[in-house]
Amino acid sequence: MDVTLKVHRFVEDRKWVQEYKVPVTVGMTVLEALINIKEKQDPTLLFTCSCRSSICGACAVRVNGNAELSCEILVENLLKRYNTDTLEIEPLGNFRVIRDLIVDWDPKYARLKKIKPAMEPKAEFSPETGCKQSPEEFNKYKKYAGCILCGSCVSECNKNALNEKDFLDPFVFVKAEKLVADSRDRDPKAHLQAVQDAGLWRCFNCQECTAKCPKGLDPAGAIEKLKEATFRMRLSQDVGGKHAKAIYDDISDSGMLDESKLNIKSEGFIMAGLRLPMALRLMNVGKMNPLESHPVNPEINTIRAIVKTAEKETE
Amino acid sequence: MKYAFFPGCVLKGAAAEAYTSMQKVCEKIGIELVEIENWTCCGASHAQGVNDLAALAVNARNISIAEHMGLPIMTVCNTCTLQLRTAKHRLDSDEKLKEKVNGILKEAGHPYQYQGTSEITHFLWVLDKHSELLKDKVTRPLSDLKVAGYYGCHILRPQEIMDYEDGKHPQSLERLIKTLGAKSVEFSAKRKCCGFHAQLAAERDVLTVTGQIVDSADKAQADVIVTPCPLCQMQLDMYEPEGREAVHSRAEVPILHLQQLVGFALGMSKKDVGFDRHVSAQEKLKLD
Repeated sequence: MDVTLKVHRFVEDRKWVQEYKVPVTVGMTVLEALINIKEKQDPTLLFTCSCRSSICGACAVRVNGNAELSCEILVENLLKRYNTDTLEIEPLGNFRVIRDLIVDWDPKYARLKKIKPAMEPKAEFSPETGCKQSPEEFNKYKKYAGCILCGSCVSECNKNALNEKDFLDPFVFVKAEKLVADSRDRDPKAHLQAVQDAGLWRCFNCQECTAKCPKGLDPAGAIEKLKEATFRMRLSQDVGGKHAKAIYDDISDSGMLDESKLNIKSEGFIMAGLRLPMALRLMNVGKMNPLESHPVNPEINTIRAIVKTAEKETE
Repeated sequence: MKYAFFPGCVLKGAAAEAYTSMQKVCEKIGIELVEIENWTCCGASHAQGVNDLAALAVNARNISIAEHMGLPIMTVCNTCTLQLRTAKHRLDSDEKLKEKVNGILKEAGHPYQYQGTSEITHFLWVLDKHSELLKDKVTRPLSDLKVAGYYGCHILRPQEIMDYEDGKHPQSLERLIKTLGAKSVEFSAKRKCCGFHAQLAAERDVLTVTGQIVDSADKAQADVIVTPCPLCQMQLDMYEPEGREAVHSRAEVPILHLQQLVGFALGMSKKDVGFDRHVSAQEKLKLD
């Protein structure tokens, strides 16, 4: 049986979709299919690859709109998933394309530098004694050391797709959390402040990065840990952080979100006041009633005690 | 069929029509909903970014009440489902964490411990898994209606937690639309995130994507967009005018809660399902 690969080509500002047919063999990866095309049909098709063992991260592409490591995803499994005999192969999303399936990493490395991406050891360490830490301390960040910089996490990032200038790439957040959680680092707050300044709270929480990471690193989870650290390290909060805090506080205040006050708590009276036309729109269809009192959960004392006890545990 | 129902905050507030239509539809198809007594907010995908352990303990409490009722939990909100299932997944896979959280519940005076005995599901999954629920009950096949099914994010991802179907190629919503007699329409922005959770922090981008989603469904000639998430529904419905402005579109498309579309197919009127509480495109939905 053949698979038809519709490959998105891009050569010197010219874009087109080229179809190739490749005989499917058992265990064939998408990368092997691409190599088959290059060796037997079209030497002009360009893509990157190296280790072919899911380690180097060089071969990620989009298949039917989803980022995949082409050296590990099997053609037969994809045909089964999409119930088709045709797959669409594109370069990773949210990257500048250099040619065909090759994307430009230079702008991404420049963005990575925004977070001061190197561990600076505490003064107590020295070349003689090393930078020792306990297994427990190591376990706090070891997962995030597994990033292979393949770029899959950013390919379908919804925030990046709209505007990357005031946000970072998910792998940058992973790197940042690795540094912030590393007990050997001299100034975790410096990395954290840089991340917050570069758009931490603008994440849509769409979970695309976590769904696409081939190493299971959960970049969306790393973003949540960084957010939590901004409170633990007492960074001043902008609207995103204030909004999260308002929701968190509502659980202890009444047990439920108080929608009518969320904007005031998040943005302040003046900004919230500018939203009056929206409030009127909602009142008009009965979605908001400023005269309605907000109910308080009958078990609010227990709920407050749960939150307080948990907070004490994390102090 | 009986479930411990976790409505979530917006069903008791701005999306109250989602609550009433859910009650009516479930009654008609033979699902008994018993609301979890004194439930609290799931954290709305934000609380864990302030204090993760507190957010986890609050959801352990929610789940433990349903466990005491001896019932599986059902929600009709993507984010509530994700928050509750994430808590369950973490507590079930880490005995030490479970002990710690149960210690917090006990110290705070909560009468129940988290056991891990109640499954957590979403209304869409229940309808998809139990097709007999709708069998012979569709009295108004929506054969003239072209429906753009918009999943939203949290019912699909992360796969490890939301493992009902393949999140990279979901089909449950399309199957349901067809079961109701309507035509499922493919549209290019189907998999984009509506941005609800960043509406304040990244407002301009969120309004742009709101406009893109509605415009894309309109270009695919959809009569309505239907979603299993009340947060997506609110974002697309409430901000549809600003979304139009952001992408210079003229698209006006009604945005339905999943249970409203089911209600229509079961013969309910627009008023029955609370369609009069919608902000956008009320006049565009024509049903006999």
